Formats: sequence, structure tokens, C-alpha cells
Amino acid sequence: MDTYLQAEALAKRFDGVAAVDGISFVIRTKEIFGLLGPNGAGKTTTIRMLSTILAPDAGDVRIGGHSVIHERDEVRKRIGVCPQELALYPELSAFDNLVFFGRMTGLSGRAAKARARAVLAEVGLEDRGGETVKKYSGGMKRRVNIAIALMNRPELLFLDEPTVGIDPQSRNKIFETVLGLRDEGTTVLYTTHYMEEADRLCDRIGIMDRGRIIAVGTPAELKRQVGDPARTTLEEVFLRLTGRKLRD
Amino acid sequence: MGRAFHLARLELKRYFADRADLAFGIALPIVLFAVMTGALGENAGFRATMHVADLDGGPLAHRILGQVNDSESISVRRYTRDELADALRRTAILTGFVIPPGFSASIESGIPASIVVEQRGSGGDEGQIVVGVVREAARKAVSAIELRRAIGVLAGDSAGDERVDEVVQQLLTEAHHHPSVEVVTDPMHVPEASELDRLLAGIVVMFLLFSATLSARALIAERRSGTLERLVTTQLSPGELFIGKFLGGVGRAMVQSFLLLGLAFAVLGVAGPLAFAQCLILALVVAATVTSVGLVVAALARTDEQAAFSAVLVTMIMSVFGGTFFPTAGAGWLEVLSRFSLNTYAVDAFMGLFSGTGRLADQELELAVLGGVAITGLVIARTMFRVSSSPLQS
Ligand SMILES: Nc1ncnc2c1ncn2[C@@H]1O[C@H](COP(=O)(O)OP(=O)(O)O)[C@@H](O)[C@H]1O
Ligand SMILES: [Mg+2]
Repeated sequence: MDTYLQAEALAKRFDGVAAVDGISFVIRTKEIFGLLGPNGAGKTTTIRMLSTILAPDAGDVRIGGHSVIHERDEVRKRIGVCPQELALYPELSAFDNLVFFGRMTGLSGRAAKARARAVLAEVGLEDRGGETVKKYSGGMKRRVNIAIALMNRPELLFLDEPTVGIDPQSRNKIFETVLGLRDEGTTVLYTTHYMEEADRLCDRIGIMDRGRIIAVGTPAELKRQVGDPARTTLEEVFLRLTGRKLRD
Repeated sequence: MGRAFHLARLELKRYFADRADLAFGIALPIVLFAVMTGALGENAGFRATMHVADLDGGPLAHRILGQVNDSESISVRRYTRDELADALRRTAILTGFVIPPGFSASIESGIPASIVVEQRGSGGDEGQIVVGVVREAARKAVSAIELRRAIGVLAGDSAGDERVDEVVQQLLTEAHHHPSVEVVTDPMHVPEASELDRLLAGIVVMFLLFSATLSARALIAERRSGTLERLVTTQLSPGELFIGKFLGGVGRAMVQSFLLLGLAFAVLGVAGPLAFAQCLILALVVAATVTSVGLVVAALARTDEQAAFSAVLVTMIMSVFGGTFFPTAGAGWLEVLSRFSLNTYAVDAFMGLFSGTGRLADQELELAVLGGVAITGLVIARTMFRVSSSPLQS
């Protein structure tokens, strides 16, 4: 399989403390790659560097063959970013949010509206797109947050902990959406600190702790390091690798 | 650049979607307008009533009351003797007048008669004034009768009554047209009007500054929630983002200006689309200035609370020392301080245009100061503009 993203010796320090400590990994074309790790592991900092927001202190990343440092605009055309926090305008409708962000990615007014309708359907909000986001449940807001990242039909989608604190129904809808996107050919980077989520969704997983990636592989490969894959959980893998529980 | 305009349009859309913002920026100043106009309009003129029981009903009494009623500020209200006494007893009125029976006939035949003033205490300021006006009216009416009698006496019986009447009429008309003494009132409309001008201009500017600086909070919230970062990962450059936010702020301030200035024009009765157009151009300069101050607040403040506090502080200090509520010209150190307030220049410029005679082109100093602050503020805000709340931003 082709490599779509290649990160090399990527590092970022905040106030002298390493948030990301020289990580290297690849994401293959059309796979769902999970970054699994506890809070503070460096997942968000990694995504912010991969998505051209934060300049790395060291290392580089190539996305679709383009450097995030030297070819930002080329990279930005290819990515969609769904940040951990709700990054949208709650006083406006979901539809208006989508059209606005669509226009920011360069779509014409008409194209943005058509795309907004399609994307609303993709996240299961086609009936309620006209309501202000403020009135939505937490899960619906998260789905709008994801939908915004889909407006420019990204080749690579970044989802930073998209299911934190939401109802099971929205969670399942999000899984469905992510799997559907992968089937249509989108490459996905998915971060989470829920190990069963990573297990269920991801083709390959990088386990992250204290700014480093300490293991990479398919869920089965990772579990095999500990014992019988059919009877082992990623929780146990994490415990074996770090001596700590995943959720503290 | 097109993207910056889309962003500005979004800002306007968000403005209209936010009821609290609209209420604060538009409804509240309108309420203040109403209160201020009411408060200042009240002392516009003196009004009083002459409470009178006319027991005479004769021609002279009629003439006196007619004269009082004709005066601009005093109206006559009639009572029976008992009603008047009752009203005085209940303190419903403080001063009452009684014209006794036979008053007119008595005066006509040369026998002195009095109009009786009944008062509680001093009769109140209003009563004093009414007494003065009534006395003046009585003197005028009686003097005609006395004049007639004097001429009649001087002419003896040789002159017919008709002839005497004619001379009296002539003399009175003469006196009316060329009075020997005249008290001329010179209505001082100017200071009163400009007080209202100042307040309305002051309120408009104060709320423009308030809204613009308070909107710094929204920008900080966006920085924290990540919408600004998200916008940067679309293909919007931080420069376009900054311009879009600036244009959006100017747009919001112009919506506010248009409504508030329109209302101020209606209240002040300033006529003319030309004056209004000039006001809108001035409003554009003021909008750019307050928006740029708002962006500086957003750049300097790290938290919501800091931004809100700075916004209130900046607005209140600028407004108080900027001649919003009282003139600062000639007020010593206050005038010196006022030179450091944006509002001084904006309020002065608006007042100049409210007067209906001023021209925007004459407000060079004001325009220069406002424009200078706008540009300086923009440079500072752009230099410090951060898309992300993280200290180390690319
Ligand atoms: N803007 C920042 N300033 C200072 N420290 C930061 C900043 N962002 C992240 N960190 C620190 O870097 C580490 C990694 O954080 P983060 O990437 O958010 O982890 P995760 O997303 O895995 O929870 C944490 O210790 C966090 O406190
Ligand atoms: Mg995170």
C-alpha cells in the first residue's frame, strides 16, 4: 500500500518540556490510522503540526508528497481538520456554518450550498441543518464539527477525539460516517483515549505516551505482543508497554 | 480578498443572530435617548394656571382674565367660590384668585376695588409668578379706564363721550405700538439644543466604542475554541482573517450608527440628507477607529474576563473624559484630559454636523485624530494578532 503521510522525527516543546518528542510514523493511503494515548500524550500537538497550524521545532511531515513546512498551501488543499474543541459558530445554523467554511476553502456559493447538503446527510443531520447549532445536543454539535472538515472533500481527514462525552447514538453515527469515508477512499487520522474505540475502528494504531510513539501495528499485531489476540485488550497492551493504566 | 469579505459578512450575520448584542448595542442606547430627551425636554417652558373664582362676571374682569389666558405660559381655570376654598384647603392649589361681585362696576365708576389673592403659605413659586402676571394684566386693563376718565374730566362736559372714546383709543393704540418701556425676551435656544446634541452624539459614540471593544471577547473565544486555527487550515491567510474581522467590525458599527444616527436626527429635528450623509461618512471613520481599538483589546487580553474588563474600562474612561455627559471645554485639567479621549473628537465632530450648518470638511482636526488612532491601532493589533491561544504559534 502507498504511504499517504510520512512524519519524520517530529518534535515540539512547550516551555522547554517536550510535548512531542521526535516521532516518526507513516499513514497509508485509505486507511484509518489511530493515535491512541492518555490525556497529555501529545496527540493534539501532533495533529496541529500535521495540519500546518503549529510549526514543528524539528522534523518534517510529507502529506500527499508535500511538506507541511515548505508547501503549506498544497497541504491545506488536501486536508480536513476536525479539532478536539467545537470550532464553529453556535449562534448560526449548521447549514450556514458549513456554507461559510466551504466558501473559505474556495467553493463558490452554489457549490458550497450543494456540498453542505450532502455533508449534512453524511453525518445524519439532513433534517435539522437549518436549526441553530446552539440548540443541538452535544453529539449533534460534534457531528457538525466533523461535517465542517468534510466540506472540501479532503484526501486526509484529521479527527481529534471526536467522540468525547457524547451519547451512544451520535457515537455510532460518527463511526458509521468514518467507515463510510474510508470506503470512499478518504485517509483518516483518528485520535482517541478510548481503547475499545480504536480497536473497533482503526486499521492500524500508534500507541502514544509522553510525546513518543511506543508501538505501531494493527490491533491484532499489537495484542499479539502480549498474548492471544482474541483474548487480549489494547488496555493490557498499554499496561505492558508503560507499566500504567491507559485511563488515569 | 474575497474571502475576507465573506468573513466580514459572516460577522454581520452573527451580529444579527445575537439578540443580546443587538439589545445592548442598539436597544439600550435608544432607551437612553428617550430618557435623556425627556429629561432635557422638561425644562423647555414654564407653565402655570391661574385658579380663579370670578364672582363679578363684568366686562373688566372678563378683559383681565382674557389677557392672562392669552399669555403663552399661563392658562385660566375657573371655580365657584366654594370650589376654590375647597381646593385651597385640600392643598390641591396654593394660590387662588377671587374677583369680588361688583368689581367691574366699581372700577368703572372710579371707586377702587381689589382682586383678592388667597394663598397657602407663600403660594409657591408658580403662584408668585401668576400673581405678578395677573397684577400686570389688571393694571393694563384699569389704566385704559382711568385714562378715559381723566380725559373726560380735563375736557369737561364740552366734549361728547364719543370724542373722548376716540382719543383714548388712539392713545392706547399708540402706546401699544410704541411702548415707552418694553421688556424683550431673547430666547436662548442655543445652549439647550447643544446640550441635547452633546448627549445624543455622546451616547452614539459611547455605544459604538462599547460594542466594538466588547466584541473582543468573541474573538478571544474564537481563538480558544479553535475556529481561528480552523480557518487557517482552510486557505485563509492570517492577514485575510485579520482584514475580515476588521471589516466585519466596521460593518457592525455602521449598522449601529445608521440606526442610532437616524434616531438622533429625528429627535433633534435636524433636516437634510446632506447632513445625514456627512454623519454617515464620519461614522465610517469612527467605526474604523473603535473597531481598531477593539482589535487591540483582543490582541492584548488573554482571557474573556480581561477583555470584558478592558472594554468597560476603556469605554467608561473615554466617555466620561470625552465630553459625553458634560462639556469639558474650559474646564481646566478636565479639558487637558479630554484631549486624550477619542470620544472628545468624535462627539465634537458629530455635534458640528448635528447643528445642521457644520460641514465635515471643517472637522480636520477631529478626522485626523480619529484616522490616526484607527491606523495606529490597526498596526498594533495586526502585529500582535494571534490565531492560536498557544504562546508558540507558527
Ligand atoms: N499551547 C501549549 N502550551 C503549553 N503546553 C502545551 C500546549 N499545548 C499542549 N501542551 C502540553 O503538551 C502536552 C501534550 O498535550 P496534547 O498534545 O494536548 O496532548 P493530548 O492531545 O494527547 O491530550 C501536555 O503536557 C500539554 O500540557
Ligand atoms: Mg488532545
